Amino acid sequence: MRTTTLSMTLWAAATLAQAAPHLDPGAPPPATQQAAQAENRTRPASVGAALQSDAERHLRASFDAADAAHRGTLSAAEARAGGFGWIANHFDAIDTRHTGRVSFDDVKRYLALRDAGSATK
Amino acid sequence: MIPSPSVRRGVRAFAAAATLAAVTACGGGGGGGSGTATATYVDANTYSTTAGASLSTPNENTAVTHHSLTLNGAAIAYTATAGHLSALSSSQAPEASIFYVAYTADGAAAATRPVTFFFNGGPGSATAWLHLGSFAPKRLVTGVPATTQTLPFPYVDNTESLIDTSDLVFVDAVGTGLSEAIAPNTNQTWWGVDQDAAVLRDFVQRWLSVNGRTASPLFLYGESYGTTRVPVLTRLLETAGQRVNGVVELSSILDYNSNCSVEGGTPTVNCAGFLPSYSAVGTWYHLATAVTSDSDADIATVTLYADSTYAPDAAAWLAGGTLPPADHVAALAAFTGLPAATWDQRFDMDYDTFRHHLVAATTLGVYDGRVSALVGSPLDAADDPSNSFVEPGFTAAIETVLPNELGFTTPSTYVLSSDAINTWNFSHGGRSMPDVVPDLSAALSLDPSLKVLFLGGHHDLITPFHQTELDVARLPAGAPVTLHFHPGGHMTYLDDGSRPLMKAELAAFYASATGAP
Repeated sequence: MRTTTLSMTLWAAATLAQAAPHLDPGAPPPATQQAAQAENRTRPASVGAALQSDAERHLRASFDAADAAHRGTLSAAEARAGGFGWIANHFDAIDTRHTGRVSFDDVKRYLALRDAGSATK
Repeated sequence: MIPSPSVRRGVRAFAAAATLAAVTACGGGGGGGSGTATATYVDANTYSTTAGASLSTPNENTAVTHHSLTLNGAAIAYTATAGHLSALSSSQAPEASIFYVAYTADGAAAATRPVTFFFNGGPGSATAWLHLGSFAPKRLVTGVPATTQTLPFPYVDNTESLIDTSDLVFVDAVGTGLSEAIAPNTNQTWWGVDQDAAVLRDFVQRWLSVNGRTASPLFLYGESYGTTRVPVLTRLLETAGQRVNGVVELSSILDYNSNCSVEGGTPTVNCAGFLPSYSAVGTWYHLATAVTSDSDADIATVTLYADSTYAPDAAAWLAGGTLPPADHVAALAAFTGLPAATWDQRFDMDYDTFRHHLVAATTLGVYDGRVSALVGSPLDAADDPSNSFVEPGFTAAIETVLPNELGFTTPSTYVLSSDAINTWNFSHGGRSMPDVVPDLSAALSLDPSLKVLFLGGHHDLITPFHQTELDVARLPAGAPVTLHFHPGGHMTYLDDGSRPLMKAELAAFYASATGAP
């Protein structure tokens, strides 16, 4: 085994010095990159269940944003007014208990059942 | 053969509703003389793309012109609409005045005629690249990768236009082109991954509503940072209840954390996704010896080596500065033509080192490694010959196409590249730099019939095609994605051999994503 002769720090300095302004996609500022590097050490790119969890986090954030009253449930009208029209469009199928309000767990249950159904087709 | 637009001189302002009426009145048209009004528009607003800029006098006036394009022997009459439309919040508060150019075929049925929104990237790039270079009814001739085409670039009928398949709307993001935030917002308000996607969601929904197109099959097309933007936008539209039929991602960066080209500091990201692109460029200069072309077979050979050998070798070098056995370095030199000594110095090979060291005294392009310039020559002055060759032609063309072809005149400067990236909020999904694979996953979860097409160029050195393959492979098996890569750079459509191939792939994709036979 051999070891590299030029230190990584020197390379870093050289790379930063020649940053070109017009690039698309352009590199985020150095501080942003350093923060990302630190995160990536403990949080690798998600696959499988971890990816599904990352995806769900986005949907939950939209659910919570629509749930302005923090009740943990949405009516069809609240979902539509709050930017989650998809819930309103699928409301009857999600609201299996016919309470007129659905939780995020109800949404997850609906998606899981739908995927299980489509898998058997 | 193709009549130039018969633009009536004079100022005539169209409100959005009047524009809708004018476009609707085209129904049943079939030729330039359908009787629909043509209107030029002089927009007196001064649009600014600086961070603090804030427009207090938005308007929704448009210039409307009529044209015809012959594709495969059939004339397609179409209307071009250029102007602004305001993005509105859910409470109808104005957010931003978005500049767009829409090409809509006359007489098509709104319920079945697809509409596609195009977005360039940056962040901070206007959509003039896709508008003037790709699949609109007319395009600029560049001759890339040759650098012999003189300015001005000819602006010609586009025999690969998508106008036979879809209506086309080219959209400038806030703080690019002629788009600006509406007071009390500033451009900076919308300069973030999530903020930008939210305001563009509101624009897309407003455009569909104002133009009576909410039931039309909807497609979104992103390039470069636009491929980060569009998955977030797709998730937001699907969440809002607006179905998206298809997403086209050209020259993708789905995960900033996996792409070693955006890395400016101490190297931590594995560059194995770049090796097939380095090899394709090496074969272009006849320097690679283990492979001879960018044929599918040669690319498959290099890709296998990248995944099986180079990736773990690069990981070991990143972890401890350890170089692999000399025969591994020799294999990389043979695949690329880059000397072994250069690999020894920077084993996790970044694109900047590669493109400055492959050919002596020569700089290779970032966007298209086939475009080169001697160090110190005029084309090398900005350190990217592939950009320096085309940017002046596109910058000049948008200033003449808007008034002369589309009837839209403004005292403002159309800004092709703004400073948005300097103060852009890159954080997204709990990360400092965006990973939008989860956004695609969420959108596909909400809408299992959504389909995604990835396109790109073998010689693009900033969003390499194999890195896209690696990022896309994170999606579950059976995900409705299609990938096609061709000779060419970042703006793959500039390649005259690859543009027709992409057009055919797009046509097939649209057919599958709309359920057409």
